[in-house]
Amino acid sequence: MITGFAESQDAFAAALLHADQPLPPGITTARGMADAARFAVYRNNVFVGLTGALAQRFVVTEQLVGTDFFAGMARAYAQDHKPRSPLIIDYGDDFPDFVAAFPPAGGLPYLPDLARIEVAWTQAYHAADAVPLDLAALAEVSPEILPDLRLVAHPSVRLIRSDFPVGSIWNAHQQDEVMPVSDWYGQAVLVLRPHMDVDVCILPPQDAVFAAFLLNGASLGEAAQAAFAAAPEFDFGAALLGLVNLGAFCAFHPDKGSNP
Amino acid sequence: MIRSTLALTLAGSLATAFASVAFAAPLPAEKMVGNEKCYGIALKGKNDCAAGAGTTCAGTSTMDYQGNAWKAVPAGTCTSMNVNGHMGMLTPKKG
Repeated sequence: MITGFAESQDAFAAALLHADQPLPPGITTARGMADAARFAVYRNNVFVGLTGALAQRFVVTEQLVGTDFFAGMARAYAQDHKPRSPLIIDYGDDFPDFVAAFPPAGGLPYLPDLARIEVAWTQAYHAADAVPLDLAALAEVSPEILPDLRLVAHPSVRLIRSDFPVGSIWNAHQQDEVMPVSDWYGQAVLVLRPHMDVDVCILPPQDAVFAAFLLNGASLGEAAQAAFAAAPEFDFGAALLGLVNLGAFCAFHPDKGSNP
Repeated sequence: MIRSTLALTLAGSLATAFASVAFAAPLPAEKMVGNEKCYGIALKGKNDCAAGAGTTCAGTSTMDYQGNAWKAVPAGTCTSMNVNGHMGMLTPKKG
C-alpha cells in the first residue's frame, strides 16, 4: 500500500498512543511481516517518556496521590495529549485542567491548584531573566500620576488563587517528613524567579485581588479600588511595596490613554 | 472615588508604607535585603533539581506496567491532609 507521508504520519501518531488502534501501515520486519510486538515496545517507550516527564514536573502532586495513582492518571493524560512542542519542559502545562476533570481525583479538590503551582514553578524557572523593579524608582513617582501607573509583570511571575491552602500543602512536601496542613483556608500563591532562585510565596489574603489586577495590566488606581471593594482592610502601600519587594514587576509606565 | 482623592489616598498609603519599613527616603539596594521577605510568606523549596521535565539526563527506564485498567485510589500523603476536619479525601473511597 502506498500512502502519502502525511497520512502515514497521522496513522503512526494515532496508533502510538492508543493500543486499540491497528498497526500503522508499513511497520514490518525486514522480511515484510507486520510486527505488532515491536511496535508495542515502541509505544510503551513513548508512554514511559511522557509519564516520566510528568512525574518529574509534578513531584508534589505525585506524592499526594501516590505513585500508582499518579502513573494511572499520567497515562490517561498522555493518551489524549501529545506534546505540542519539541520542548518536553512544556509538557503538562494543561495537566492541572485534566486533573480537575479527572473523576478518580475528584475527592482531592485542592489537587488541580497544587499542580498549577508546579506548572508555575517550571515556567518561572525557564522564564526570561529580567531585573526586578527597584523600590527607589517607585518612591520617586509623583503622587498625582500614581493612580494611572501600570506595572509590567516580571516575565517569571505567576499567581495561583485557590480556595485551598495549596501553598501550605506544597510547602509541607518540601521536607522529607510531610506534616499535616491543619490551617485550612484559601491562599493566593505567587510563584516567581526575580533572580536565580524560584520563590513561592503565600500572599496576604486581602492582597490577592490587587495582585491579580496588577498582573492583568490594570492601573494602580483600578487595582486598588477593586482590592478595597473586596477587602476594606486592604492596605495599598504595604501591598504595593510588598509585591515590588518580592520582584513581581520589572518596570512601570504611566497610562497615556486616560484623562487627566 | 474622585480621582484626585484617590491619588492622595494612594500616595499617603504608599508614603506610610515606605516609612513603616524604615526608609522614608530611597535606600540603596543592599540596605533593602533585610526587608525582602517581610511581605508574604516565603516558602522554601528543596526541589531545585526539578529544573523541568526533560532537563536531566537521567537514564530512561523502559519499564512500565500494563496501563489498560487501573483501579488505584489516591494513597499518598493526601491521607494526612486535613480537609475541614476530615482527613485526606472529601469523599470516602469505595472498595
